[in-house]
Amino acid sequence: MRTPHNGAVVQRRSKTRSYRQSYRSCLGTASRLGLTPALTARRLNASRRAAKPQNDKVNPEHLALLVKAEWQLSYVTPLYQFRHTQLRSYSRQLAAFIVAEKQQGLAVEVSELHNSYRVSLSVVQGLTESEDDAETVLIQIHSKPMFARQDEPQRSVWSGWLTCVHGSPEYLRSLPKDFTCLPLFGSRGPEYLSRVVKSWFQKTFDCCFGSLEINHTSLQWFAALWTDCHSQSHIQHLRMLWTIPAAPPLQITYTVDHQDAWDLWNSVRKGPTAAVAEDAASIDLEEVTGFLQALKSHFYRHFRLDLSAGTLQQVSTAVGSAKSSGRIKMSNSRHVIATLTLLTECALLKMPI
Amino acid sequence: MDDTSKLLLQRLVRRIPTQMLKATLDKWGRLTVEQRQAMDFTQSKWALTQKLLSVCEENKLTLTHLAELEMIHAMENPNQGMWYTFQLLEPENDAQSVELTQFKQQFKCHLSELLRQMSVKIKKHTDEAVWIRIALGSSFSKPNHLKPTYVVHYLQTPYVFVRNLTSKLKPLLSQALTLATRHQGVKEANLSGRNLTSIRDLLMRQYQQVFPTKYRSPPEEEDQPVLNQHIEKEQGGVAAHRRHMAHQAFGDGMLPQLQSAVYMLDTKFRDPNNRTMTEREETFKCVVKFSSIDLLESLRSCASSGIASAPVTPLLSSIPLKGRNYFVVTDNTPGPSSQGHQTQN
Repeated sequence: MRTPHNGAVVQRRSKTRSYRQSYRSCLGTASRLGLTPALTARRLNASRRAAKPQNDKVNPEHLALLVKAEWQLSYVTPLYQFRHTQLRSYSRQLAAFIVAEKQQGLAVEVSELHNSYRVSLSVVQGLTESEDDAETVLIQIHSKPMFARQDEPQRSVWSGWLTCVHGSPEYLRSLPKDFTCLPLFGSRGPEYLSRVVKSWFQKTFDCCFGSLEINHTSLQWFAALWTDCHSQSHIQHLRMLWTIPAAPPLQITYTVDHQDAWDLWNSVRKGPTAAVAEDAASIDLEEVTGFLQALKSHFYRHFRLDLSAGTLQQVSTAVGSAKSSGRIKMSNSRHVIATLTLLTECALLKMPI
Repeated sequence: MDDTSKLLLQRLVRRIPTQMLKATLDKWGRLTVEQRQAMDFTQSKWALTQKLLSVCEENKLTLTHLAELEMIHAMENPNQGMWYTFQLLEPENDAQSVELTQFKQQFKCHLSELLRQMSVKIKKHTDEAVWIRIALGSSFSKPNHLKPTYVVHYLQTPYVFVRNLTSKLKPLLSQALTLATRHQGVKEANLSGRNLTSIRDLLMRQYQQVFPTKYRSPPEEEDQPVLNQHIEKEQGGVAAHRRHMAHQAFGDGMLPQLQSAVYMLDTKFRDPNNRTMTEREETFKCVVKFSSIDLLESLRSCASSGIASAPVTPLLSSIPLKGRNYFVVTDNTPGPSSQGHQTQN
């Protein structure tokens, strides 16, 4: 059996080609890996638990760093010989690496560069769901602006995180001992720093990064999951952005009032709905598609224009927003887990086997 | 020159593209021939600004002169910013005979009666449009020339186009306009867009119109290889029908450019598959916004490609027909059979 380690090595040899090959739609109908033994689920789960209000095990300060910012998502293959106990040393190495990258192309050594970046890697305790999940790692880069005065404090210029929330236990357990799986990577800040951080991780932990788009099905899931949160946190509205392949392209923004979205969602729920606050409250894909279908049919009744002809690009509520380009914003700390669970699943589907 | 003048000049030079700067300055006519010839337009914007500043100092030009320059640039580039439309109501008997001098005098007189700190400039453009530039101040501050309001009106028509209107100026402007144009009132025309010429054409019906006809126009001939005659016949018939419907709604020719259309829907949710929602008392409230770089062209393309079913719904086809792009849609009569929509302001 080919281990993920081998997969990572193969991928590194011809990067551009294998990125494309490792791309697999979350529906996974046409995968080149169709014949390999099932290490991961071939498709998104058709049923998931409703978003429970957040437990308090995560440090609120850490949580505050994750919410209210928009993150660009990537997937990461399992990290080889990554130790949560070595984060201090990693911080120093990464800082030195950034300086070295900056130094490249400069004829003289610029001494000021040496202390210009402060990097901290830390563990976000408790941002996990199952015992197989590795603890989330937060990366922060502080620096001074280019022409800052001596006494000016360093500001946060870049931040990112690696996480695994509720990752498929089947996949996680199948990994060889020395691998840590943190498949979901989010970053914000200048692109060149993202590049440098990624390349340091690639060199140090023998892993690969690839962009993680949020596909149509996942966006539909977000629309439903976030609407489902309305009983606990006000969603303000449910806004969806479609693009229609007309010439020139047409964008349709469809914003539904919070109460109406909630009532419609409850009307398409199959099982006992609002009454269930217990663990059993699960959401089926059928309900999600039914919800979107009902929204589309209301639209069609007025405009005689079929939204199915277009693609869903963006979903946003006061709880969060997701864009097909792989940008995510979690605005409410109570529902971070549910959002990250879905995204972890999307990232795991991209793993080369 | 004071700081405001300097700031205004800086912003102007930054905003006007270098290749247009020379023509704009020529049109302005505040620099002597020598001064204009001395300008080197290959220089950076910063250097040009410094040069212009010293020339303006030399000629003792003031803020008013610079406002003129800004107005020239604005009139040359009407397709910038968001234009909103207003419609004048109930013309008086002499409304048709209002001419420019009278309008100018009346408008300025009414507006200055209402507000002290204000600078108003009125110019007639080559295409008969009257351009009005209003810089507004408060009782304690001088007129703000950095954010002027522009009003465009064609005399003897009921339409007024406004850019950058503040809520403070709105009632005063409405009053001055109705009095100066000899009308009784003014209302919002629910049409907005970035392209002033397009929204003007749309309102004044200055584009190729579609006239509803019950006879089919002859289908256009197309040079396509016939693969299978039967398929071709059947498919071709459907496609031709769609195209016909699209043209019936949006015409064949060039369409005025609009960027968006907004619908506030407040209607019952009716779906035979969803009893709960259909039986619900309340309406289903949502806002739908269509946007595109050329909205009507996109909608026509949707209709002719079949993304929008034929016939095109009156909601979409009334954008060009009624000349508006903001609609409030409510159910006509509460009842399960009503399919019609009523639009209100």
